[in-house]
Amino acid sequence: MRNALLKTVGIGGMLVCLSATVVNRQPATNTPWPLNYPSYFGNRIFIPAGNPVTEEGVYLGRRLFYETRLSVNNRISCATCHRQEYAFTDGKPFSTGVDGTLTERNSMSLANLLWIRSFFWDGRANGLEEQAKTPLTNPHEMGLSLPASAQKLQATKSYPLLFKKAFGSTMITGDLVVKALAQFERTLISCNSKYDQYLRGEYQPTASELNGISLFFANPVPGKNIRGASCGHCHGGPKTFSELFHNNGLDSLPGDAGREKITMQAIDKGRFRVVTLRNIALTAPYMHDGRFTTLSAVVDHYNEHIQESATLSIFLQNNSNTVNGRQLDLTAQEKKDLIAFLHLLTDSTFITEKRFSNPFLNK
Amino acid sequence: MFIVCFTSNLVLAQEKASPAFVKVSGEVTKPLTLYTADLAKMNKATVMLTDRDGKDHSYSGVPVLDILNSAGVTTGKQLRGENLTKYVLVKCADGYEVLFSLAELDTAFTNKMIILATESEGQPLPAGKGPFRLVIPGEGRPARSCHQVVEFVIKFAKE
Repeated sequence: MRNALLKTVGIGGMLVCLSATVVNRQPATNTPWPLNYPSYFGNRIFIPAGNPVTEEGVYLGRRLFYETRLSVNNRISCATCHRQEYAFTDGKPFSTGVDGTLTERNSMSLANLLWIRSFFWDGRANGLEEQAKTPLTNPHEMGLSLPASAQKLQATKSYPLLFKKAFGSTMITGDLVVKALAQFERTLISCNSKYDQYLRGEYQPTASELNGISLFFANPVPGKNIRGASCGHCHGGPKTFSELFHNNGLDSLPGDAGREKITMQAIDKGRFRVVTLRNIALTAPYMHDGRFTTLSAVVDHYNEHIQESATLSIFLQNNSNTVNGRQLDLTAQEKKDLIAFLHLLTDSTFITEKRFSNPFLNK
Repeated sequence: MFIVCFTSNLVLAQEKASPAFVKVSGEVTKPLTLYTADLAKMNKATVMLTDRDGKDHSYSGVPVLDILNSAGVTTGKQLRGENLTKYVLVKCADGYEVLFSLAELDTAFTNKMIILATESEGQPLPAGKGPFRLVIPGEGRPARSCHQVVEFVIKFAKE
């Protein structure tokens, strides 16, 4: 009788311990991941309270990022459309999903996402955890529901233990999958381009590059012979973006309504997010529909092809290097100088950093 | 007949955008969504602003303090003690955001008449700046007089 009682208490105790580990909380053994970035990036970073960036979470998230089993046909992972060598884009205007159809918008670069609050070209997802759900489950992208993804991972030898290390439980859920992915993505920080080296006083730009920097951040004042391209209005600061949604004059009648579809406000028609220009020389083609294949075409657009519409950004109006000019009116050399600056934003350490690379490839 | 009307309304609803509004949220007793018609019924004030063109322009609209009071924000006699750690985050349609301390918007503390403008020089605001623009007269730069305001968020600063 006493033995049976002891056994019951013992089993009961075990059950209590087991149930305690099933609760989704960060285990006390999690190691914080050191997020290193220059002070000039500023600290307006976004990390949700329930998902701090940890070594264990990032280790798992990196594997999931490159994990093709997260697609219904086992052929596509996040990295298929977000390739490290292209600063996590794929070099195509649109991307092909599991069903052979194309996505609606250009694959975005995954650099410095830590400073961004709302994701996609139209800002419809709040937070990386929210964003990840779309490509994972969209039938035109990876096409696998979150419960099905979780089940697949649960059936593997290695993943349950990795989830336990990261989140305290071997029970894998879709929620934990996107949390791990988000942790990995938050570590993708690009801050060692030639432009960063210049800001640190370690690189001396050429005359053309220096003029490009000047033009990029300056507003033209033709009366005082101050030359500028006003890029800084939207792409200002060392991170080369502000979290704004603007219509940059691609079309007088936008085919893609952009942010208007989300807010249902006419003033948002044809508005898309201002993207970072970090690594821009690597992330062609450009714009939400990948219509421009070269930086030259982009600069030409802003210089002389801006299309008027009711929602054209006010930053792109009345902006000229000529007195009473209708367009930006940069010279051919000034365009070259701007492009020389844009090339300074390429960060070769970011695209070769082993910690961001495919862990499944033999090294 | 009814079915035809209903269907055509559905088609219109998909093509037409929603009317513009400003929200007031956060530390309020009454969260608000104000449309142009609602603002038209409220008090009006006119102030001058030196715009980016270097010229003075007149702007008319509703004092922001009145908007905050309609939402039951702790202004006036209630703006004391811990309520002085409240801020107002003004959000604009394009993502731009500007911060004020609550006291900056309360005429019990400041001489400035800060308004949510719906008109300039007797005309509706031009495209890209309207329908609602925050106007703070007398600032060194117009950067806080932001365009296309969509929300006022009132919160406690918690450091």
